[in-house]
Amino acid sequence: MSRKLKRKKSLWYRIHQNEKVQSAETVLLPLLFGFLFMIMWQTQKLHTLLHTDTFTLPLPSRILTIIADNSDKIMLNVNATVIVTLAGLVAGSLIGYGIAVLAALFPKWGSCGLKIIAAFNAIPIVALAPVMTNWTKDVSNHADIRSMVAKIMVVTIVCIANMSINAYRGLTELKPFSEDLMCSYAASKRVTLIKLRLPNSVPYIFTALKVAVPSSVISALVSEYFAEYIVGVGRQIRENIVLAQYSSAWAYIVVACLIGIIMYAVLMIAQSFMLKKRA
Amino acid sequence: MKKNTGKLIGLLCVSVLTVSGLGGCGSKAPAPTEKAPEASSDAKTEQAAPKTNEDILVAAAQAGKVGNWGLGNEYEVKALLTKYGQDTSYLSQAFDMDGFDDDSITLASAMTYNELGLVKNDYDGGYGYGDSVNVIDMNDEGVAMLEDNIFTTKAFAEANPNTVKAFLYASIKGWEYAAQNPDEASKICFNYGSSVSEDHQKYMASEVKKLVETDMSGNAVSDIGNMDEAAMKQTLDLAKQYIKLDDSVAADKLSTLTLDDIRNTSYLTEALASDGKFDNLEKTDVSIQLKWLPQAQFMGYYVALEKGYYDEVGLNVTIVPGGGDISETTAVNNGTVDFGVTWVSNLIAANAGGMDLLEVAQIYQRSGLVLVYKNDNFK
Amino acid sequence: MSIRKKITSKPWLPMLIWIIGIILVWEIAATIVSVTKRTPENVLPHLYQIFGQIFSTKAVSSGKTATMLVLDSASKTLFRAAIGFITGTVLGFVLALIMKISKLAEKTIFPYLMLIQMVPILGMAPIILSITGDINTSRIVIAAILTFYPVATNTLAGFNAVEREKYDLMYSYAASKYTIYKKVLIPYSIPYFFTGLKISAPMAITASILVDTLQGDGGLGSMLSQSLKHAMSIYVFWLIVFFSAFIGIFSSYFMGFLEKAVLPHKRKTKIKRKDDAV
Repeated sequence: MSRKLKRKKSLWYRIHQNEKVQSAETVLLPLLFGFLFMIMWQTQKLHTLLHTDTFTLPLPSRILTIIADNSDKIMLNVNATVIVTLAGLVAGSLIGYGIAVLAALFPKWGSCGLKIIAAFNAIPIVALAPVMTNWTKDVSNHADIRSMVAKIMVVTIVCIANMSINAYRGLTELKPFSEDLMCSYAASKRVTLIKLRLPNSVPYIFTALKVAVPSSVISALVSEYFAEYIVGVGRQIRENIVLAQYSSAWAYIVVACLIGIIMYAVLMIAQSFMLKKRA
Repeated sequence: MKKNTGKLIGLLCVSVLTVSGLGGCGSKAPAPTEKAPEASSDAKTEQAAPKTNEDILVAAAQAGKVGNWGLGNEYEVKALLTKYGQDTSYLSQAFDMDGFDDDSITLASAMTYNELGLVKNDYDGGYGYGDSVNVIDMNDEGVAMLEDNIFTTKAFAEANPNTVKAFLYASIKGWEYAAQNPDEASKICFNYGSSVSEDHQKYMASEVKKLVETDMSGNAVSDIGNMDEAAMKQTLDLAKQYIKLDDSVAADKLSTLTLDDIRNTSYLTEALASDGKFDNLEKTDVSIQLKWLPQAQFMGYYVALEKGYYDEVGLNVTIVPGGGDISETTAVNNGTVDFGVTWVSNLIAANAGGMDLLEVAQIYQRSGLVLVYKNDNFK
Repeated sequence: MSIRKKITSKPWLPMLIWIIGIILVWEIAATIVSVTKRTPENVLPHLYQIFGQIFSTKAVSSGKTATMLVLDSASKTLFRAAIGFITGTVLGFVLALIMKISKLAEKTIFPYLMLIQMVPILGMAPIILSITGDINTSRIVIAAILTFYPVATNTLAGFNAVEREKYDLMYSYAASKYTIYKKVLIPYSIPYFFTGLKISAPMAITASILVDTLQGDGGLGSMLSQSLKHAMSIYVFWLIVFFSAFIGIFSSYFMGFLEKAVLPHKRKTKIKRKDDAV
């Protein structure tokens, strides 16, 4: 306390302490950084820094031109990728949460089961994707449908482990004595679950989703490499890279990043909305 | 109660394991017997009025079951589909033939020296269809495009002309030896860390020999490595028609490319005319990146290395396997390696995209791509 | 009665039952597949077939047996994974430190760390290759990029979890900023740092397998894709799937082991907590 009194509060310091200024800074600083980065990129300062040329790393203006020129084709591929990502994310998260609830109800068996599910995370996607393509051969006669199922399954598996482990922590790491309190109410297991465990796990769900959103986008892109039916942003990136069409490849890389960023932004908005309501 | 469940689980374990064990044993036994009726039914179909290639292609295309790997390998298939008035869409084929095996792809792409061998033969990794399958050959259909070549960048060729000539001289010598002794060449490849079984390697060498020694119309080739004008022209024309680029700048450049933008015959001519002595080598440590995994498809280079042909011209050569996401065009372009083996169509696409690559020899004189189908599916 | 109780109370029993259960499900499925499919080994082979390959003496590629091939390529992959992991860890820790020292840096950098996770890094491989000029360096760089994020975020969380009172105590000693970092912040963040390591160690291995596929010159990833192309025994593929999963789990446990070795006091508190519970 005495330290604070001694220091003379300068104007700069007071501005800095202002809550509104702080929240503005969180938005403005990254934007400013990004803007500077883009200028360096467009003026080829970045190229000198990285010892590369405009062929390998095309200028932003060129990339944007290609995106504008091919907007129809790009939207087609974006649709395919977004459907796979979202379906896999939702399915994986729901299944993962379901597993976590089961594990919380039967902790002796559940915690072990979770360890085994975590082991699935150690299988590389490059191995998982071709296996899934093989397993879904009988799903449908239409290649586009069975490819989509295979891709969704890959994303689902990637999301399950992450969600179940986080949600399990949310369901079991309760505030001290809250469980005792429920006990003293003679609350049944079911009531404890609904009134105490489920609400307690909500922040953990968001923790899991924050990891799951980027990883589901990336696994959707990689699974497209191995899918039978040729569609998707990931597949386009690979085709263009292999054919040495770097400008087009970059256009799709930018689009892939945008998909991830938009999904993440939606998640953050949902989170602030949900958690604010609770508070 | 608990005791009983434990017992039950134990019993279940044992029974399932035995059943699965038996099932595993059983599944192996019927495999050879399964094949016998297949073969006999084929004999019948061959006697019945054979369908033309057009009928087969149209039937498969209408069902949406034509397969190709994509990634720059699809242009000949697209050209053939167009030739018979079909839509140019195709299924993405994995780099195995499972899709063909289970009929999700009825008209599948195959290289004569690789996938076709796996489909026909029954060694490790093969599917053992024997003669019950038939093929549509791109060379016969007039939509063939040239494949494996030797290329470098224009800048490298201009700066290191003697190195390029020496490399060509020794490589062609290796190919000549390999074409005459395919069995020995396949063994050499196998010992150099091959990705495929020894049997398949041997099959591959015998098929590659045909691609190196015969041209698109089936005539014998005079010089290995020769860049035939007509074949190159056909490849370039088809490439211009069927390579679709999203980047408008690259697409414009593609439409204006000429043969002189992609190949230079002078290095090969001078190399073959020389006596095998190359002085003033600008660079002695060179590397070549293959288009695919180490296998007999590239036997000439492995033979030249093993037999010391590269040493004789004063070169120290490293062979880098390909088959990854860093394509050979990229690796040569940014100087990671000096030479590369690629398909002419890929080189054309790369040059349209802004690279400055130059073909210096054409090893394969005809297309090795075929579309394979089971006779049973097109009775 | 008491013997049965002893057995059922063993902590490894549920694990054992789980593993037996999974083996059962696998074998039932494999049996169905072996009857219905023409090439069952591509879809779902029996476990004994896969593990039988470990002891098979048949050469599958250039005179090597399946086991030799897998171990050989694993050594290359794991070596790259280890270097990538160490680089990524150092990078993550330094970034966390920078972000803690300067609020300005945190606000500027943090969203971009998130962004890097969204970039399909394999698509950027040619750019990284053209910058480094060497395929193996590029592989290590990509593996490092894919693994630094958990370390950075967890360590930063550790720094931020230091309570106000600890600062006040240090201030009352008139400790320098350097001393505060050395004596309070860094030691305090170590458990969090290890949490990050436990997540990123398996990630480094899967990332390393992924970047193996950039070029066909050995490593688990390229062997995986080669055996998928059916040019050699398909069992190599299954062996690698199991091997990589095993190594991934092992690496995570190894980090836990390291943590206990580095932080013996944490082990004690854990034991103490257990006693309390009893």
